[in-house]
Amino acid sequence: MNKDLEHKFVTELQDNQNIVHKVCTLYTNDRDSHNDLFQEITIQLWKAYPKFRGEAKFSTWMYRVALNTAITLYRKRKRRIDTADYESIIFKIKAEVYDETEELQLKLMYKAVKQLNDVDKALVFLYLEDKNYAEISETLGITEVNARVKMNRIKTKLRTILNP
Amino acid sequence: MTDELELLKRDWQKKEFDVPKLSYDEIHKMIWKKSSSIVKWILIISILEFTVPHLLYLLPSMREGMEIYDKIGISKYLLFLSGFTYLVAFYFIFQFYKRFKEISVLDNSKNLMKKIIKTRKTVKHYVIFSLSMIMVTIIMMIIGVYLNDNITLAFPELKDSLENISQEKLKVTIMLSIGIFGVILTLAMGGIYFLLYGLLLRKLKQNYSELRHLAV
Repeated sequence: MNKDLEHKFVTELQDNQNIVHKVCTLYTNDRDSHNDLFQEITIQLWKAYPKFRGEAKFSTWMYRVALNTAITLYRKRKRRIDTADYESIIFKIKAEVYDETEELQLKLMYKAVKQLNDVDKALVFLYLEDKNYAEISETLGITEVNARVKMNRIKTKLRTILNP
Repeated sequence: MTDELELLKRDWQKKEFDVPKLSYDEIHKMIWKKSSSIVKWILIISILEFTVPHLLYLLPSMREGMEIYDKIGISKYLLFLSGFTYLVAFYFIFQFYKRFKEISVLDNSKNLMKKIIKTRKTVKHYVIFSLSMIMVTIIMMIIGVYLNDNITLAFPELKDSLENISQEKLKVTIMLSIGIFGVILTLAMGGIYFLLYGLLLRKLKQNYSELRHLAV
């Protein structure tokens, strides 16, 4: 019986792993930490999986666990941050863009988002994933109004980072 | 900015990140790895905090040290005190267990953080209680020494060298040393406890206040 559950879980996570990778990319700066966080999120998802009864889509359910792990449960291991690594992560994010200005703009945006604090990153992440404010507020445990206000402040913050 | 965020959003959603996709086997292996989450660390450290002081009594040298209580005639009060301490400790352990059970990764972020901080607070209160009990014990020892009429008897092995010191002087010296020892012990233990958790919970507390102080 457990084998079935295991199989189902691993298959679903494998299909949806991109979401977890996105969270890890936002919250870590090097490959090792990325893998560490991915593993911790996987463990937390698996521990919570018996409570997942399919009332929501698997991917929807993952957002909460993944973000909670990244901003609350995860303990960064002490390691030297390799600047080269950091840069490579940012510039590795190569989009299929057609125009150079747009590409530069995107790179700067990604860099700016990475400078935000944990909570702000969570909001931006959910926003980028096209979640509405109701979902954002529910995931983070704040009111919808607060989520909107916060998002506006983040936009201002990003603007300041981009145009100092 | 909105335009740039929209641009980012479009790019983000069609993005397949340039990280190696994990295979079924790789993910399968991961689910049996040990978690290193902050909750797990809090559980481990809390259990240590509950047990270590009690394990100390099992050391033979500590047990010999207990004889001093007999000699200065406060052991029956201390017996009462330790009975009380155990009762309170069990109450705390029960509370801690209840809190710990409430922590769920499926909760919203704010609640999750709140519950972790609450769980940690339970242990913090226990630590404060334990430290106060150490202080009470120290104070009782000092009173015991003060009320003792023949303090030399408590240190038979030092009998010869103590003979030419006056009772009064000896009493004051012993009371002072116990007092200083007690203060240092309490401060050192308190320092270790709070340092440990301060470091562990710093990031979480920052994030929690970030979510809590969202004034409109």
